Amino acid sequence: MKRSTTAGAAVAAALAITLLATGCSSGSGDSGGGSASKPVTITFWGAYGNGGNSTQQDALNKTLIPAFEKANPGITVKYTDIAYDSLLQKLTTSAAGGQLPDLVRADLGWVPQFAQNGVLVPLSDSMPDYKSLASKDYNGSVATNLYQGKYYGLPLDTNTRVLITDEAALAKAGMTKAPATFDDLQAMADKLKGSGVSLFADSKLEAWQISPWIWSGGGVLTNAKETKATGYLNSAKNVKTIQMLVDWYNEGLIPNLITGNAGATGTSDGLPKSDYATIFDGPWMAGIWAGQYPSFTPIYSQIPAGPGGSVSVVGGEDIVLTASSKHQEAAEKFIRFTQGSAFQLAMVKTGQMTVRPALADQQAAIDPYFKAFSDQLKTAKSRIASPNQSKIDTVLNTTLTQAFLGTTTVKAALDSAASQVDALLAGN
Amino acid sequence: MALTTALGRAAGKPTARPGRAASLRRRRISTTPYLFLLPGIAVFVVAIIWPAISAFQMSLYKWNVFNSALSRWSGIDNYVRAFQDPHFWLSLSNSGIYMVATVIPQIVLGLGIALLLKRKSPSQPVFRVLFYLPVVTSWVVVSLLFKYLFDDSGLINFTLHDFLHLEASNTSWLAGRWSALVVICLLGIWKGIGWSMMIYLAALQGVPESLEEAAEMDGANRWQRFRVVTLPAINPATVFVSVMLVIGGLNVFTSVQLITDGGPIGQTDVVLTYMYTQAFKYSDFGYASSIAVILAVLVFILAVVQLRVMRRDDTEELS
Repeated sequence: MKRSTTAGAAVAAALAITLLATGCSSGSGDSGGGSASKPVTITFWGAYGNGGNSTQQDALNKTLIPAFEKANPGITVKYTDIAYDSLLQKLTTSAAGGQLPDLVRADLGWVPQFAQNGVLVPLSDSMPDYKSLASKDYNGSVATNLYQGKYYGLPLDTNTRVLITDEAALAKAGMTKAPATFDDLQAMADKLKGSGVSLFADSKLEAWQISPWIWSGGGVLTNAKETKATGYLNSAKNVKTIQMLVDWYNEGLIPNLITGNAGATGTSDGLPKSDYATIFDGPWMAGIWAGQYPSFTPIYSQIPAGPGGSVSVVGGEDIVLTASSKHQEAAEKFIRFTQGSAFQLAMVKTGQMTVRPALADQQAAIDPYFKAFSDQLKTAKSRIASPNQSKIDTVLNTTLTQAFLGTTTVKAALDSAASQVDALLAGN
Repeated sequence: MALTTALGRAAGKPTARPGRAASLRRRRISTTPYLFLLPGIAVFVVAIIWPAISAFQMSLYKWNVFNSALSRWSGIDNYVRAFQDPHFWLSLSNSGIYMVATVIPQIVLGLGIALLLKRKSPSQPVFRVLFYLPVVTSWVVVSLLFKYLFDDSGLINFTLHDFLHLEASNTSWLAGRWSALVVICLLGIWKGIGWSMMIYLAALQGVPESLEEAAEMDGANRWQRFRVVTLPAINPATVFVSVMLVIGGLNVFTSVQLITDGGPIGQTDVVLTYMYTQAFKYSDFGYASSIAVILAVLVFILAVVQLRVMRRDDTEELS
């Protein structure tokens, strides 16, 4: 009995020591580094499988990574899939704990923030062939990697928003083709008034949602250097564009989904159900509708042109290399591999758009609906590249929502937004 | 001979130096419980104390979560910022409203149901399970369920508008601060009643029947018996339930995050969703930590005040 008590106490003490040791050693990091004779394993995190999509992960794990490993003996790539919603949180906590992978497929909005905090390697410095690689990609996509004069990643896949409508909605408005200009939209609005069908729906008023309107309306968000918003964001052109949307909202032609009603019908349901006549959305919707609304035939067309033409917003992901990586050379080889046509076209087949305009024709041959998106990408622009991008989004959403709800005027809302964005651009 | 010598030695040993052996045994006895406590304490230190100290440390810095060496000391700046931040006050008031609006109904309804279910009847176990079911159901599941119920085209609007014709048009429950808070509070009450019911059921078992009988013989009616006998007898349970519910109410997070995500434009943010936004959306861990510390201090003060006030009532009634 006594022996078992003593043994139990010893086990308890050992357990406690182990717990304390493991609990306190989480920040010590990885010490293993591959030598030239020893094969190396590079780790790669992304959210390819988001929404239960296994085709992209399968293409990566079963075709692309084995092909890369075959061409580069001694390098093993280990891909870990993380749900998109928790990826930023996981990256943040992993960065704090010194446990980041070598490569990350990062949402392009995160790159400046990570770059500012010294988490990433500036590829424009570390890769001698960076310029020639980047020159093959869409300018708007490459620009998302820029932070203070250096480029911290390369575009991996891209997307943009186009106007999506359907035949039933067009018929209701007495139209035969999708609205191509702001004037067409206004004509459509007049027809749809009181019909119970909304002219246009969107879920928020952040940069992703509002930029296509502002740019197509001939306005800009900031000056060219992205250091000042006052005088740009609150310009007369932007007031006019936003006022057009606010007027539609007041006439019941834009649902309160845009002002943050979490209980409103989402755009992905509202369009196929003919609640909404038009929405702006990305290439991923095709797959979602094919599963949920098989009889729905979406019509993809360019963002309606205003005084500034038809200009949309660039989305997508960049591949970035972490500064804590012990295998930078091997990781850079994989980055080069992702820029090749084999990788790009294999991912097109799974619904990811290529970042190389030269492959656009081959892409359209794989699936014709990509054409509307690659055409739109030719003029698409990237959002403000700032570590404070999330805060800028909050400012835009908050001030513009107040203008939509009528608690302030459009001019006052944009003035307030501009002065707040000024402070954020200055790094405060 | 050899045996007796051995026996004699064995028997003689303790008597030879009794003081040292006894103290040895005492020492062994005294260290063993602590060794057994050590794993628990280790887990507590690693999982609770250490993060709490770290959070307090972070709150005094402009904390760089990506590279803590780059963090800048900022003293009480984060706390000053919180007290001057109107959105912090809005989120604190939403947490307070949620706390007040959910704690009282949970106590009253929980006790009421416990009183109803105290009586023996064949259906009683079924009802106990039914009322307790929401407590053991995942917050994520029931939050999404409530979101769908109060959707613009959800069951609630269908009932009020299409079925009972009480509304002219569908109500956007989640589009405004107050109506969205009503939904969140209803969920909190519905999910919590079963828990307070269970605590009260246990407490009611402990009320001596003799006391009730004596009161009945003295001519007390049912209400008087409840007020004078039952309520004071279950006061410790009421203290426990109210302290725990106040702590839980101020810590509301999952339901708000999933039903409105703090929206529209942050109007339904509670302290923890605002803290989460600061930490994981803006990577401002210093400010988020100061919000966490303020909430922890507030909860601690409220709990101490509650215990003081309710215990004092207890002793006054007894004297």
